[in-house]
Amino acid sequence: MLVIENLVKRYGKFKAVDGLSLEIDKGHIYGFVGPNGAGKTTTMKIIAGLLKPTQGRVIVNGTDVSVDPRGVKRKIGYMPDFFGVYDDLKVTEYMNFYCGVYHIPRPERRKITGQLLDLVDLSVKKDAYVDSLSRGMKQRLCLARSLIHNPELLILDEPASGLDPRARIEMKEILKELKGMGKTILISSHILPELAEVCSSIGIIEHGKMVVSGTVDEILKKTAKKKTIRIRTLDNLESALKYIEEQPSMSGISINSDFIDADFDGNSQILSEILKGMVMNGIPVTSFSELEGSLESVFMHLTEGGIQDAS
Amino acid sequence: MQVNPVIEKELKIKMRGWKAPTLITVYLGFLGLIVFLNFLGSKVISPNNVTQFNPPIALNSYYSLATFQLLMLAFITPAMTGGAISGERERQTLDLLLCTNLSPFSVVIGKIFVSIAHVILLIAASLPILGTVFLYGGIGITDLLVLFAFYLATAIMLGSMGIFYSSIFKRSSVSMIMSYITVLFLLFGTIIIYGIWSSIFSNNTGIPPGIGHTMAFMFPNPIYGFGSILYGSSYGAGIPGGLSGIISTVIPMSGSVYGGNTPNTTFPMFLGIQFKPWMANITFDLIVSFLFIFVSTIRIQPAKRFRLRIRRKKSQLEAQIIPKN
Ligand SMILES: Nc1ncnc2c1ncn2[C@@H]1O[C@H](COP(=O)(O)OP(=O)(O)O)[C@@H](O)[C@H]1O
Ligand SMILES: [Mg+2]
Repeated sequence: MLVIENLVKRYGKFKAVDGLSLEIDKGHIYGFVGPNGAGKTTTMKIIAGLLKPTQGRVIVNGTDVSVDPRGVKRKIGYMPDFFGVYDDLKVTEYMNFYCGVYHIPRPERRKITGQLLDLVDLSVKKDAYVDSLSRGMKQRLCLARSLIHNPELLILDEPASGLDPRARIEMKEILKELKGMGKTILISSHILPELAEVCSSIGIIEHGKMVVSGTVDEILKKTAKKKTIRIRTLDNLESALKYIEEQPSMSGISINSDFIDADFDGNSQILSEILKGMVMNGIPVTSFSELEGSLESVFMHLTEGGIQDAS
Repeated sequence: MQVNPVIEKELKIKMRGWKAPTLITVYLGFLGLIVFLNFLGSKVISPNNVTQFNPPIALNSYYSLATFQLLMLAFITPAMTGGAISGERERQTLDLLLCTNLSPFSVVIGKIFVSIAHVILLIAASLPILGTVFLYGGIGITDLLVLFAFYLATAIMLGSMGIFYSSIFKRSSVSMIMSYITVLFLLFGTIIIYGIWSSIFSNNTGIPPGIGHTMAFMFPNPIYGFGSILYGSSYGAGIPGGLSGIISTVIPMSGSVYGGNTPNTTFPMFLGIQFKPWMANITFDLIVSFLFIFVSTIRIQPAKRFRLRIRRKKSQLEAQIIPKN
């Protein structure tokens, strides 16, 4: 449904998105996770046809965004991270306006508006002025607005940010309902656990690059336990490799010209035992360290963000 | 044809409640008062103590009203349009419009229409009051229509100028200030420049500049075009008094500027008709509006496409090859 190939967006020398690739199948909810400034919003704006990519392609159900932006706009519903509403407009008038924008024939507008307001649970507010709605209600109204033309793909940029816990739960329920309707959804958040529940797949993005991508289970397994350890020795790297391979807590071992990388699954005590063992076996270890920017640290980063945010 | 949704929505907001009808009523009442005071202030009493009608006084009201409306147009339109695009940016509603299938051109046109609608509505509603002058002769229906067309062209030009600045500058306040600076330049800057140039010209050559010269400097100035409409319409009336006296004071060479009352020979001929100042002015308005609208549309186009056609076709083919998921 959505294919992103080697997407690059530059602002001057700065790369906001740096060679991002991604694929989402029809009917899936894909969670786009990354700290603030990772490039999520930029990527989503490019998909929505609001920014021109420096490089790369975005294809929505067979249509290339840079070839036929209007064709793509017909297929997607986009909800920005920050948006405003017009003053002096009632909820139904607001919906009616966007119905007009999407060229919905007049006789159908009332019905569509009614259905969508039901879906996002705003029917009771249909005669209220939009600027009197709470943040969560505005968010839901904007979601209803993005569904007017019955898009196949939904791009939701941090739909839960700034919402209180109850509003978040309501948003989650609506997402599940949309999934049930067969919509494909790309949803972003800077908090991993928030997405884990609703998404079928997740991609973690940092500094414009996809760090890891896969199903929720895969990601959680990968990120929850493993650390990557890099070992350097003065010489005799083979003996170090042999020793590491014997350790049950080490896996995914790779040897390079002057160092070994291995995934480590265990606690710090085991780690110190391994180091001690290597030294006692006469292996001339010069460096033994956890790799920076490993999945673990990204994950920690994200979950910390989540804890702060929820508090 | 579908109604432009931007127009529909904004008119709905603007015309809601009592604001719009009240504004129109107050405005018309005000214009009526000007007419009334004009009559009152220059009442002509005949020897047998009967109040008589006096065509020049009727014309006076006409000039005053017409000038008042021009100034209103010139100073209200920038305020109405200056925030049209930048305001949507500031309120973060622009992306919501641009991520839909609504074309940037519709957004621009809709915004211009809505922002000049108010002023044009006021002016259209005032036409009957201007028309009271018919009762006394001196002004024909064509004069009134030409005047209205002139207002419309001026409003479109000022409206698209406001939109243009609004699409260029991120902040509404900046775009409004730029709009007003431009309006002041058009109204008075051109006169100052022309005044300086013409005095140098006269000093050097010993003859006053001709109509062609004047037109070359003054064609963008709404007052210039407006003056020629007023002069052209009055049958032998002298320099108008009242508010429109402004024109004769700010343009010292008013008589010669408009060709005075000898309209048949002085203006350059163009396509077999006399190219009068208001025609030059309206032409300028339309061309400039077109450019403003064009640039504004490009400015808000989200993902500008400057790719070559050949590359487009190629990637279109590739896009078709990729299987649908
Ligand atoms: N218009 C812009 N000009 C320059 N840099 C920008 C612009 N928009 C975004 N950026 C930068 O691009 C990076 C990615 O931003 P964004 O996509 O908004 O991240 P996210 O949504 O993941 O928080 C940020 O570092 C941001 O500062
Ligand atoms: Mg963002």
